[in-house]
Amino acid sequence: MSGMNDELLALSGLDDGWLDRRVFWDRDVYELELERIFARCWLFVAHESQLPKPGAFITTWMGEDNVLVVRRRDGSIGAYLNSCPHRGNRVCTAEVGTARGFVCNYHGWSFGLDGGLTGVHESAAFGREPGFDRSRLGLTPVAQLDTYKGLVFATFDPGAPPLRDYLGDFAFYLDVILDNDEGGTEFAGGSIKSVLGCNWKIAAENFAGDALHAGWTHASGAEAMLGRGVPDLGAEDAESYHVNANGHCWEFNLDGVGNAATLGDPRVMAYLRDHEKRFAERLGALRARMVGSISSVNVFPNFSFLPGQNTFRTWQPKGPHRTELHTWVLVNRNAPQDVKDAWRKGAMMTFSPSGVFEMDDGENWELATRSNAGVVTRKQRLYYGLGSGTAIEHPELPGNVHRGQINDANQRAFYRRWSQLLRARTWDEAAS
Amino acid sequence: MTTMETYWEVQTFLAYEARLLDEERYTEWLGLFTEDAHYWVPGVENRGRSDPNGPYAPSRMAYFDDTLEDLRRRVVRFTAPTAWAEDPATRHLHVVSNIEVERAETPGELLVRSVIVNYRGQGDIDAATLYGRREDILRRVSGELRIARRLVLLRHAVLPAKNINTFF
Repeated sequence: MSGMNDELLALSGLDDGWLDRRVFWDRDVYELELERIFARCWLFVAHESQLPKPGAFITTWMGEDNVLVVRRRDGSIGAYLNSCPHRGNRVCTAEVGTARGFVCNYHGWSFGLDGGLTGVHESAAFGREPGFDRSRLGLTPVAQLDTYKGLVFATFDPGAPPLRDYLGDFAFYLDVILDNDEGGTEFAGGSIKSVLGCNWKIAAENFAGDALHAGWTHASGAEAMLGRGVPDLGAEDAESYHVNANGHCWEFNLDGVGNAATLGDPRVMAYLRDHEKRFAERLGALRARMVGSISSVNVFPNFSFLPGQNTFRTWQPKGPHRTELHTWVLVNRNAPQDVKDAWRKGAMMTFSPSGVFEMDDGENWELATRSNAGVVTRKQRLYYGLGSGTAIEHPELPGNVHRGQINDANQRAFYRRWSQLLRARTWDEAAS
Repeated sequence: MTTMETYWEVQTFLAYEARLLDEERYTEWLGLFTEDAHYWVPGVENRGRSDPNGPYAPSRMAYFDDTLEDLRRRVVRFTAPTAWAEDPATRHLHVVSNIEVERAETPGELLVRSVIVNYRGQGDIDAATLYGRREDILRRVSGELRIARRLVLLRHAVLPAKNINTFF
């Protein structure tokens, strides 16, 4: 990289609360993100419940690489580049389904659930070719794949640390939503996909820490679902936090049900109330109060969710100024069907492209991105200074803990991790 | 088959409904539904032809899976003075075409099929166009046509828009 970019990637003003706008605009920054973040980090690719039996598959994205995620015959999960090693065509054109194998439409090469090449059209001609070796012509697998309590993650980097280390102290927080019930979780049926004309980081950092926008941007949505606005969250004695670990971020208070209440469904509220004690038994009193509270989460780099509404989503990068949003709804597997249905409907009513909350986010994010087309505008740094000096030690909460959810501490942590990874040539360098 | 008079009445009704949406007259629009209405715009999945599960299903995620009460809530958001994204106003256009009218299974109800094209212009140059097929059940309430059920099948697996701040 050029000297100018080294300076940009260092984000030197961040600790003082300033962010360089070029991170949202420059094409060379974006290309480096694809190499050093999306081709290296552990990325969310599926929930295990989406792959219920051998042959079940979904196609998804890891950066701009299309990936085929498959339940193999032995019950394990594989993930491969969805691209034929012969001429590069996709071998699977559906987004979800069940298959015995995959056949490329172009020249009829076929692949098993383990990714291996099982057959070719005009096989006699290939059989006469001395250099043709089927064992070297399977679909390219990801370097590592692992699960954490139902969530499937993959990385293209053989040198990436194990998933458990990548999540680090953040696993403690993930259990709030993934392990509050003995039956674990599943995704409700289907997924919704839409396109935002924004940089992927603007959406990711919003979920990482932006409780501030909730009461303002979403005043009209709160009016629709609660009959009132969002209460102020920033009182000095508010029992709320920004926590982060390895760039993964969770902002929350301890009201227990504030997010869930926006679904406007008594069945969801009754479920949470009835299970309060059980949550506390599994998670302890403090984490039990996070299950449905006013909060938002981003797992670095681009996997977000909202406890309470239980919308889960990935911000798939499609160029520096375009993001494809994929959303799912998470439910507890053991919850009654009517509660699961209420959650699915409520999550869509609030946080989907037609949701009364989400429909006010897109324009903000698109214009926040597009403003940076101006060469003069782009030179004006953005203010990320809220909550300096809020770092605390907490007897129960691991990771970096900050007092107060009206804060920019998580956003700064997100960009610090971003900067670290973009400058590091190896995972060893990034960890230091 | 239905009479030309019924066809004319249905076409006039759908054109009027589209104009209410274009003019953001949401409260009047709500008045076109029966109390037990179901308004459903399912998400569309890109699945193979041989997949028995099909591109949409009631158990899966949907843009709208609404009772009249749900639609009323949405209208609260649209009409709230704090709906910042609605000001300046979106420039809506709802085009209804390919209308087919036949008797529904329930006596006195009509099954109406149509094609909907929805264009939205926003801000300076933002624009989105969505396409879908509709299947409505229209019922007479006190002599007037009302929408008892609407299914909108969008033609998009990935919605080519940041949101749906309108109805179809």
